[in-house]
Amino acid sequence: MEARIVKKGQLSELLDKLAQEYDLVAPVQEETLTFFRKVSGAKDVFLEYTNSDVSPKGCFLPQNEKTFNYTYTGDSLEIVKPGDEKKTVLFGARPCDARAITTLDPVFEGEKFGDEYYSSKRENTVIIGLSCSKVLSTCFCYAFDGGPCDGTGSDLLFTEIGDKYYVEVNTEKGKVLADKYSQIFSSQGADQLAKGKEEIAKKLAGEFVRKVDLTGVKELLDDNFELPFWNGDDYKKCIGCGTCTYVCPTCHCFDIFDHTIGDFNGARFRCWDSCMYPEYTLMAGGHNPRPTRKERVRNRFMHKLKYHLDRYNMVGCVGCGRCIRKCPVNIDITKIINDLKEVAQNA
Amino acid sequence: MMGVIQQLREQAKKLLEEKKVDLVIGFGQGTELARTTPVFIDSPEGVSALTWGPFCANNLAKYLIDYKNAPGNVAVVVKGCDSRSVIRLLDDNQISRDKVVIIGVPCAGQLEWQKVAAEVKPGAGLKETADNGESFSVKTDAGDYSFNKKDYMLHRCLVCENPNPVISDITVGKELPVKNYEERFAEVSELEQMSTEEKSAYWDKQFSRCLRCYACRNVCSVCTCQVCVFDQMLPMWVSKRTNLSENTVFHITRAFHVAGRCVDCGECDRVCPMDIPLRKLNQLSPLGEFKPEDPEEFM
Ligand code: SF4
Ligand code: SF4
Ligand code: SF4
Ligand code: SF4
Ligand code: SF4
Repeated sequence: MEARIVKKGQLSELLDKLAQEYDLVAPVQEETLTFFRKVSGAKDVFLEYTNSDVSPKGCFLPQNEKTFNYTYTGDSLEIVKPGDEKKTVLFGARPCDARAITTLDPVFEGEKFGDEYYSSKRENTVIIGLSCSKVLSTCFCYAFDGGPCDGTGSDLLFTEIGDKYYVEVNTEKGKVLADKYSQIFSSQGADQLAKGKEEIAKKLAGEFVRKVDLTGVKELLDDNFELPFWNGDDYKKCIGCGTCTYVCPTCHCFDIFDHTIGDFNGARFRCWDSCMYPEYTLMAGGHNPRPTRKERVRNRFMHKLKYHLDRYNMVGCVGCGRCIRKCPVNIDITKIINDLKEVAQNA
Repeated sequence: MMGVIQQLREQAKKLLEEKKVDLVIGFGQGTELARTTPVFIDSPEGVSALTWGPFCANNLAKYLIDYKNAPGNVAVVVKGCDSRSVIRLLDDNQISRDKVVIIGVPCAGQLEWQKVAAEVKPGAGLKETADNGESFSVKTDAGDYSFNKKDYMLHRCLVCENPNPVISDITVGKELPVKNYEERFAEVSELEQMSTEEKSAYWDKQFSRCLRCYACRNVCSVCTCQVCVFDQMLPMWVSKRTNLSENTVFHITRAFHVAGRCVDCGECDRVCPMDIPLRKLNQLSPLGEFKPEDPEEFM
C-alpha cells in the first residue's frame, strides 16, 4: 500500500482547493454540535471533534431525497429525475463512519436491487478518513474489527502525527486524488511514518473502556426469536423516539411518499424512517406485526446483530457509540450484547 | 445520598411485599458513571437496583400511562419537577390517583451527564455522591471529584422552585429549602428583547437542525394524544421531510398544544439530540396563556 505525507500547514490549502473543484463535505461545528455539511473552504471545517453528532451517512443516503418530479398531462406521465451527482469529497470521516458505509454498500448496491441514487453518489464521492486521536467512553469499534486508525471504507486515510498527516492510499480513487494534488501529497519520507502510525493505533487501542464480547450472541439469536430477555427493562424504558437509528451510521431504513402540488404535478421523496416507530410496520387495514415497543426494540438489535450478518455477512453495527450517547433513557447496545452473551452462556 | 438510597429501597420493598403495588419504577445505575436508567422492579428482591443521586435527570412520570390498564398498582419515584408531571397526568385523566403510589424525593439538582463524563476518568465506577450545597461531590474508584452546580447542573435545576415534590404518598429524604428565582424566565426575557426578524432568525436556526425524531414529544407528559397529528398518515398534516418549513410547523404546533399545560419539567430540552432549546420555546409566556388578541410577533 502506498503512503503520502501532508503537512498540517498545507491542510487549509488542500481543503480550499477541494472546495473549489468538488462539493466538499466536512465536519462543521454548529453551537454545541458537530455535523457533516457542505463547506465553502477550510475556514468552515472543524477538526477538534471525536465523533460527529449525526453520522456522515447522509452523503449517500440523505435524510430527504427527491427521487423524481412527475407531471401527468391526461394522456401521458412525464418523469424527470435529478441530474448527475456532483463530484464530491467527504473529508474527515472517522474510521467507524467510513467502515459503516461499507455496511450500506451491499444493501444499496446488491446485484438484484441496485439503487441508482445511492450508487451515483457513492461513485462520485471520494472518502477521506481521519484517524481518531481520542477514544470516547462510548466507543467500541474494536469489537467489530474496526479501530481508531482503521482504513476500511476510506479511499485515503489521514492520521495526525506531530506536524504532519500520514496518508494511506487505500484505493485507486484515493490515488487519483492524491496524484492530482501531488504538490500537497508528498511521497517523500512517507514510509518512515508508518511506524509512528502503528504506535498511535496501539496506544489508542488501549484506551477503550467498554468490554464487548459477541461470543455466542449470533447463534443464540439464530435459534431464538423469542427470548425472555426481551421482556426485560429495555423495551419498558424505550420511549420509541428513534434517535438511536437517526444518528446511527449503519441504519438505512427509509419511507417513500409523493408530494403532490395541485392534481397532476408533484415529486416523489424518500426520507429516513425508523423501525422504532409504530407506523413503520403499520399495514393497510390496521394490522401491526410489531405492535409494541418490545418487538421494535428486539428488531433493532436483531437487525444489528443477526439479520445484517445473515444477509451480507457483516455486523450491522460499527461501534461508534452514538446510540449510547444519544439515547435519552440509556439503552446501551454494549450492555445488550453482553447480556445476550450471558444468556447464551447459561442456555 | 447513601441514606436516601437505603430508605428508597426499604420503602419499595415494603410496597412490593405488602402487595400495595405490583411494580416500582425508579432510577437504577446506568452504563456510564454519570447516568442512571429507568428500572422496573416487580419483586422485593429487585429493589437493590434502585439508586438516587445527582444523575437522576429522567422524568419517570410518563411511564405511568403504560400501566394505566395493568391490573395492579404502580409506584413511581419522582423529583419536584416530575411531581408536576404526575399532577398533569392526573388532571388530564391519563392515570387514576388510586392506582399510583408516588414516592417523592427532595432533589438538590441534577447534573448534565455529558459534562461530568468529560471530566471523570473513562470507565471509572461510581462509589458515592453527596450534596454539599453549592456543589456535588462524586466519589469514584478512580478518584474523587467535585462538581459545582452553577456549571454542571441542568439549566432547569438552576432556577428550580419545587425541589420538594408537590404531590407524594411517601417522602424519602429531607425536605429542602425552597427558593424563588426572579431570573426564572431570564432566557425568555432575552428573546423578548429581540426584534421580530432576530427572533425569526434565531428560531429558524434552531428548527432547521431538528431531526424530527419526536423524542421531545414522546418524553413529554403533556403529549398524551393516542394518535399524534404528526403521526397521522391520512391526512398527512406534516410530511416526513425535514426542512425548515415542515420543522417549523411541527414546533409551532407542538408549542401550541402544550401551551398552558406544560409543567416546565425540561425533559424535551434534555432529550433533544440536536440541543434545540425547547424549554425556552415552551416557556414563552404568551403561549402559556394564549389569547386571540395577542400580537403576532410574540415568538
Ligand atoms: S448501533 Fe449504535 S454503536 Fe452501532 S453503529 Fe449504530 S449508532 Fe453506532
Ligand atoms: S434512542 Fe433509546 S429511547 Fe429512543 S428509540 Fe432508541 S432505544 Fe428507544
Ligand atoms: S428541576 Fe428541580 S426537582 Fe427537577 S431535577 Fe432540577 S432541581 Fe430537581
Ligand atoms: S427531540 Fe429535538 S430533534 Fe427530535 S424532534 Fe424534538 S426538537 Fe427535533
Ligand atoms: S413541553 Fe417539555 S417541559 Fe413542558 S411538560 Fe413537555 S417535556 Fe416537560
